[in-house]
Amino acid sequence: MSTTDETPDVVSHSTSSELSSPTGHNEENRPTAEELREMTAEERMLAGAAVDGVYVVHRRERFPIRGTKAEKRAERGVAACFIIAALAGVAFIVCFCALPWHWHLPGTPQNFRFYTPALGGLFAILMLFMGIGLVLWAKWLMPEEEVVQDRHDIASSEEDKLMTEATLAVGLADTGLPRRSMILRSLGLAGGAFATVPLIALIGGMIKKPGDQLFHTLYRRNKKMFPGTDGRVPLVYSDWRQVSPDDLQPGSIATVFPGVRQDDENGFNGLTSASSPVIVIRLRPGQVVHARKGQAGFGWPATNPEYVAFSKICTHAGCPASLYEQQTTRLLCPCHQSQFEVLEDAKPVFGPATRSLPKLPLDVVAGSDGRQYFVARDDFDEAIGPGFWERP
Amino acid sequence: MTTTQPRRDNKPRTPQGKAAAWGDERLRVAGPLRNQLNKVFPDHWSFMMGEIALYSFIILLLTGTYLTFFFDPSMAETIYPKNGTYVPMRGIEMSQAYKSTLDITFDVRGGLVIRQIHHWAALLFLAAMLIHMFRVFFTGAFRKPRELNWLIGLGLIGLGIVEGFAGYSLPDDLLSGTGLRIADAIMKSIPIVGSWVSFTVFGGPFPGHLIIGRLYIVHVLLIPGILLALIGAHLALLVRQKHTEFPAPGHTEHTVSGERIFPTYAAKAGGFFFIVFAACSALGGLAQINPVWLFGPYEPRAVSSGSQPDWYMMFLDGSTRLFPSWEIRLWGYDLPPLFWPTVVLPGILFTLAGAYPFIEAKMTKDRAIHHLLQRPRDVPVRTSLGVMAITFYLVLFLSGGNDLIAKAFDISLNAMTWGGRIALLILPPIAYTLAYRVCLGLQRHDREVLEHGLETGIIKVLPTGEFIEVHQPLGPTDHHGHGTLSYSGTPVPKRMGELGAMSPIKHVRGFLWPVKEKPEIQAALDEYEEQERAALESHSSDQHELTD
Amino acid sequence: MSRSEPSERTNVVEEEGADLTAEFGFEPAVSVTGGEPAAAPAPTDSGATRRRSRTRVRRKLSAFAILVAALGMMGGTYAVFASSSGAADSSDMAASITHGKQLYELSCITCHGQNLQGVKNQGPGLVGVGAAAVYFQVSTGRMPATGQSAYVPRKTPKFTEQETEDLANYVQSLGGGPTIPKGTLEGDAASIALGGEEFRINCASCHGVTFKGAPLSAGKQAPSLNDATVKQMYAAMISGPGTMPVFSNNEITLAQKRAIIAYVMTIKSSDDPGGSGIDRIGPVSEAIVIWVGGVGLLMIVILWIGAKSQ
Repeated sequence: MSTTDETPDVVSHSTSSELSSPTGHNEENRPTAEELREMTAEERMLAGAAVDGVYVVHRRERFPIRGTKAEKRAERGVAACFIIAALAGVAFIVCFCALPWHWHLPGTPQNFRFYTPALGGLFAILMLFMGIGLVLWAKWLMPEEEVVQDRHDIASSEEDKLMTEATLAVGLADTGLPRRSMILRSLGLAGGAFATVPLIALIGGMIKKPGDQLFHTLYRRNKKMFPGTDGRVPLVYSDWRQVSPDDLQPGSIATVFPGVRQDDENGFNGLTSASSPVIVIRLRPGQVVHARKGQAGFGWPATNPEYVAFSKICTHAGCPASLYEQQTTRLLCPCHQSQFEVLEDAKPVFGPATRSLPKLPLDVVAGSDGRQYFVARDDFDEAIGPGFWERP
Repeated sequence: MTTTQPRRDNKPRTPQGKAAAWGDERLRVAGPLRNQLNKVFPDHWSFMMGEIALYSFIILLLTGTYLTFFFDPSMAETIYPKNGTYVPMRGIEMSQAYKSTLDITFDVRGGLVIRQIHHWAALLFLAAMLIHMFRVFFTGAFRKPRELNWLIGLGLIGLGIVEGFAGYSLPDDLLSGTGLRIADAIMKSIPIVGSWVSFTVFGGPFPGHLIIGRLYIVHVLLIPGILLALIGAHLALLVRQKHTEFPAPGHTEHTVSGERIFPTYAAKAGGFFFIVFAACSALGGLAQINPVWLFGPYEPRAVSSGSQPDWYMMFLDGSTRLFPSWEIRLWGYDLPPLFWPTVVLPGILFTLAGAYPFIEAKMTKDRAIHHLLQRPRDVPVRTSLGVMAITFYLVLFLSGGNDLIAKAFDISLNAMTWGGRIALLILPPIAYTLAYRVCLGLQRHDREVLEHGLETGIIKVLPTGEFIEVHQPLGPTDHHGHGTLSYSGTPVPKRMGELGAMSPIKHVRGFLWPVKEKPEIQAALDEYEEQERAALESHSSDQHELTD
Repeated sequence: MSRSEPSERTNVVEEEGADLTAEFGFEPAVSVTGGEPAAAPAPTDSGATRRRSRTRVRRKLSAFAILVAALGMMGGTYAVFASSSGAADSSDMAASITHGKQLYELSCITCHGQNLQGVKNQGPGLVGVGAAAVYFQVSTGRMPATGQSAYVPRKTPKFTEQETEDLANYVQSLGGGPTIPKGTLEGDAASIALGGEEFRINCASCHGVTFKGAPLSAGKQAPSLNDATVKQMYAAMISGPGTMPVFSNNEITLAQKRAIIAYVMTIKSSDDPGGSGIDRIGPVSEAIVIWVGGVGLLMIVILWIGAKSQ
C-alpha cells in the first residue's frame, strides 16, 4: 500500500523539528493546491492528515478483494443488526399502544407487570442492535488503520513566552496599577463588595434563625389551647384518639403525638411536626427503670413507673428509633443501629449514638368518659434529636 | 490556507458539497474540522470507561427532561384521590411531589420505564466515573500535565454524588425523607454554624415546606449546569492534551497512536453510546428500582428498617454506623459524633485524592511530562496505596448495608458493627502488603520470561536422564541462552497462544464446509495473499527495531 | 388489661365481623380475604368496563383460583374457620381442650411444666399468655423449639391446624389471655390504604416497608412477613411473641389491625409493575445489580469493542 513508505518517517520522527514548530503544523510538508488536485482522494486525505501531524502508519482494507463471500457475509451481518433494531422499534410502538398497563389489585389479572419490561426490553434491543451494528460495521468493514498523531502539548515556545510576558507586563504598566496604590486599594474594596453583596443578598434571604426552636416541641404547656388540663398537652395516636394507660398491655409500645391540631408558626401540627413523635412504653412486671438524674418522676406513676415515654427521634442522626425489644427492653434505631437501654432511661449502649433519648414527663388526667388519659406534664427538659453546637 | 480558499475553477456541484461550501464561506472550518476528524484515539478498552460516564450523563439529561414534564416539586399537602390508580394509597395524605411521582409511575403511559432508566443511569453514571478514576489512578494517567483534569474529574464525582442525592430525595418518599433527615442531622453537626445551616437550607425547622423545591432546582439546573461545564472542560483538556497510551512497540511520549475519529472511532463510540443506552433501558425495564409506592410518603414519625441510601452514598452511611460514640464537649458546646464520619471523613478523602498527583510528584521528585502510562505492577507503592484506599472504601461501603448482611447471613448486628470497625483498621494495611507483594511477583515473572523464555509445556529427557521443560525465548538470546530483551513497560506474553502459536479463531471459518469463492475472486485472493507474504518478509526487520 | 377483657373484645369482634360479611364481593382483592364461598362470584353490577369483557366462566375460574390462593396463604385456616364458626358448642370445646392437653403433655411439658408454670432456664410459664400466643408460636413452627437461642426462627410446623387450635384452647382454658377472634381478620379493599399508613407508623420500623424483616440487637431478629398468614399476623400483634411488643386492640383498634393485615397481604401478593422486584430490598440490591449487571456487562462490551479484530 502506498502508505507503508511513510512508516520510517514516523518512527524516526525527529522531535526537535516538531517541538519548535509554534503552530504545531507541518508547514514545510504542506502541498500546494495544484499538487493536491493531481492526487487521488485517498492521497489527498493522507496529505491532509500529515499536515495535521497525523500519520497513517498502516492502512489495509478489510476485504482487499471486492465481492468475496466473506465480505458479503459481513455486510449481511451488519445489516441484520440494523434490521433487528428496526423490528424492535416497531414492536416497541405496538407494545406501547396495545399492552395493558394500569395497576390492579392482586386477585385481578396482574398483566400490567409485563408493560414496563416489554418497553424497556424492546428499547434495549433497539439500542443494542443499533450499537452492535455500528461497532461491527467499524470492525468488519471499515479499513484497518494504525495511525500515529504528534502531540503538541509541550509548553509554549520560548518566543511565544517572551512576547506574551511582555504584552502582559506592558499592559499592566499602561494601567499604572503598580504605581497607583490608591486605585488598587479602592478597587480591591469595590471588588470585595461586588463579590460579597450578591452572596449576602442570596444567603441573607434564606437565613432562618434557629432561635430556641430546637429546644422546644409542641409538648410545651399551652394554656390557651388546653385550659382544662392546666395547659398540659394530651397525648394522641396518629388518628387523634387520646392515649389511655389502659390501652397498653405490659410489653406494649405506642407511637404518640401531642394533641395539637392547630398548625404552629412553621405550619406543622402535632402529627406532622418532625419533633413530635414519642414512644410510650409499658414495661412488663419486674422491669424497673433506673432514672437519670432529674428525671426520676418522669414516668407514670411517678414512683415505680410502669409507663415511660421517650422522644422517638434518635439523638444520633434523627431517625425514628422505634425497634423495641420488649423482653430485653432495648430500643434500636434502624438507620445506624444505635441501641438504647430503656431501663436506664434510654441510655445508648451500642452503636454511634452518644446521648440518651430525651424523656417526656408523663401524667394522667381523667377524661369525660371517666377513663384516664395521658398528658405531657411539660416539654422535654432537653433538646430532642441529633446534636448541634449550642446544645448544652 | 490553501484549503479554505474558494475553489474557483472547481466549484462544488453535489448538494453536500454546496452545503459544505456555504458553511465554510461563513465559518472557515475546513482546516479545523479536518484537524478534529483526524484526531487519534487509542483503541485500548480501558479508555472507554469514561465514555460510559459521558453517555450515561447524556441519557440522564434526556430522561430527566422528560420527567420534568410530569413532576411537581411541591411539598404542598394533597390527598391521593379516592379513585386513584394505586389502590393502597387512596385517601392517604402526601406531598404533591410524592403524588406526581406516583402519577408518573401509574398514570403516565411508559412513565415508569423512563423513571427507572433515569435512576439506573444515575447509578451507572457514578459507577462509571469511579472505575474511570481507578483506571486513571492505577495507570498513572493523572501525572503531569493532566493534574488539572484529575481535579476536574474529582469535582465531577463530588458533584455527581450531590446531584444523585438531590434526585433521590425529590420523590419525598419515606426512604428519601429518612435520608434528608440524616442530611439535616449532618448539617446540624457542623461546629458553630450547624443549626443555622440547617434552618437556612430547610427554611425553618426540618422538614419545612421548601426543601423539595430547592433540591429540584439544584437537581435540574444548578448542578447539571456545572456538571455540563465541567464535562466540557474535561473533554476540552482531553482534546488539548490528547490521550495517554500504554507503552507498546511504536508508542512514544511524543505521539499518540490508535484510530482516527472519522470514521472508525466515531462508529465504535457511537455504537457504544447505543449499547450503554441499551444497558440502562434493559435495567430500567427489567429491574425495578426505587419503588416509592412501596415505601409510602415521607412522614417524620415513620421509618423503615433496612433504610439505605443509593450505593454512592452508602460508604458514608457505613462510616456513620461504624464510628464510635465519641461526643466532644468544647467550652460548654457540643461537637456531635456525626460530624466526624460524615463531614470530616469525606473531606479528608476528597482532599487526599485531589492532592495525590502533587504529593506523588513531590515524593518521587518526578516533574517530567508523561504521556505513556505505567502498568500498575511497575509502580507498586502507588498501586498498593490505591488497593488500600479501595479496601478502606469497600469496608465502609459494605458496612452501609451491614444490617442486611446480618439478616441474610444470620450474624449478630453487634458483631457486624464490631467486625466492620476492626476490618476498617486492619484490612487496608493487609491489602497494601498483599498488593505490594503481588506487584513485585508479577514484575519478577515478567523479567524471568524475558530472560528464560516461555514455558512451552514440552518436556524433554536429556541424555543424562534429566527432565527439562523446553522454553521458547521471546527474542534473540546471548550465548548462555538468556534473552536479550529488556523490560520496557509493555505486557510480556505469558502463554504460547499469545505468540500466535495457536489461534482458535482462525480455524473457525470454513470449519463446517469449505469456503468456495468464484474462480476470478479466488484467483485475486491468491495473488493478494502472495503479495502480502512477500511484503511481510521484507518488513520483518523493521518490526524488530520497533519492538526494541 | 384485666382478665375479663378478652370476652368483651370477642363480642366487639363478632359485631365487626358481621359488618364485614355485608361488604363481601366489594372490589377485586376482597376475595383474597378468604371469605365465604358465597362471596366468590364477582358483583354483576360492577362498573369496570375492562372486567365486563371477560366471560362469566373466566370470572368464576379466577375467583376460584383466588380462593385457592387465599386458602394457601392462610395455611388452610379457612377450613377451621368454616367449621368452627358454624357450630362451636361447648362439648366440641371440651373435646378440643382434652386433646390439647394430651398434645401438651406429649410435646410441651418438659419446658413449660406440668401446670404451665414454666421450668427455670427451660421455658417460660404459659399461664395467661392466651390462645393467640400459642397459636402464633405453634403454627409458625417456632414451638416446640429445638434449643435455646436469641432468636427462634420459623420452621415447618409440627402440628396440624386442628392440633394447634386444640393446644391453644387448652392453654386458654388455664388462665385466659388474648385470643384470636372468629371471623375474617383481613380488612376489605377500602381499608388497604389506611392499613398501609398504620403499618408504616407501627410495624415498618422493624419489619420494613417491604416486609423483609430486620436484625435486632445481638442476634435477635424481626422476621420477614413473607410467610406470615393472616391469622398469624393478628396473633403476633395481639400477643407480642418473642421480643415483639404487644399491640392491644385499644391501641391499634381491631379495624386498624385488619386494615394492616389487608395491606400486608395485598402488597405481598401484588406483582411488581417495574420488572423484577429484585427482592424489594431497595438500594442494596440495586447496588449489586448496577455493579454486576450494569458495570460488569459493559466491561465485557468494552473489552469486545477494544479488541483488535483480525
